[in-house]
Amino acid sequence: MHKRRHSSTETCDVDMTPMIDVVFQLIIFFVVTLKMTSDRNEEIMLEDGKHGVTLTQDNMPPTTLEIELARGGRISIHNATLSKYQLQQILKARVNRNGNEFPVLIRADRKTAHEKVREVMDICTGVGIWKLSFVAIQEHKAGKK
Amino acid sequence: MAYVRKQNKGETPKLDMTPMIDVVFQLLIFFIVTIKQEDILSKLSAARPAADPRARKENQPELITIQVAPQGFILNGRPVSLVELDRRIKRYADLSKTAMIVIKCTADSPHAFLVQSLDICNKNGMTNLSIFSI
Repeated sequence: MHKRRHSSTETCDVDMTPMIDVVFQLIIFFVVTLKMTSDRNEEIMLEDGKHGVTLTQDNMPPTTLEIELARGGRISIHNATLSKYQLQQILKARVNRNGNEFPVLIRADRKTAHEKVREVMDICTGVGIWKLSFVAIQEHKAGKK
Repeated sequence: MAYVRKQNKGETPKLDMTPMIDVVFQLLIFFIVTIKQEDILSKLSAARPAADPRARKENQPELITIQVAPQGFILNGRPVSLVELDRRIKRYADLSKTAMIVIKCTADSPHAFLVQSLDICNKNGMTNLSIFSI
């Protein structure tokens, strides 16, 4: 009889430490990971391109430069808006450092007028980059539109 | 004595695991709800030749011109739909995959049309693509 009562008081003071540990781990995980989503322009709607070369980590070396071009003609890299002059200076610096063989990706909105794309392409050719690639969606995984 | 000790040992691992399981389930549900799957992206490569008028004069015999206008595509001077463009490019690709394709874009055409025409060229294995702006 005495023994049974003893065991019942033991179950009451359950150690809360593991739960608190898990919750803290959770909070730290979110603080660290959720910051990384906003380093590209999310408002750009890409056109479908099912037959292009799939973009993976392997064929995107660290020298890859991705130029974003929003619908209104806003030029940005990693969602930081640039003027045409700034883009030209960045490309010039990159060509001086890495040569003109590094991959340049143009991530342009599907409704951008070609004259805006042309301006970006002209800046690229102006510094000696002839090979350009356009980013398209091969397979929709996120909800469409 | 031996009996009592055994019973005690058997009771202590029966600690209440419910809160931890609750938290883990919450965690799991949160991940399922919030994790946004990324679209798989592809790249469509093309050359952008220099706007040098001398270079353009030496017209190659195997030259296919796709003009991209706001209304649609014009292949070698004839307006075509996307499906017809695909069919005709496929026919050219059967003859030669290295034939040069010149894509001429007008200033007011949407970028989507350029991507579509590049996609069709990639689909049929044409590799010698260049983009002109007119």
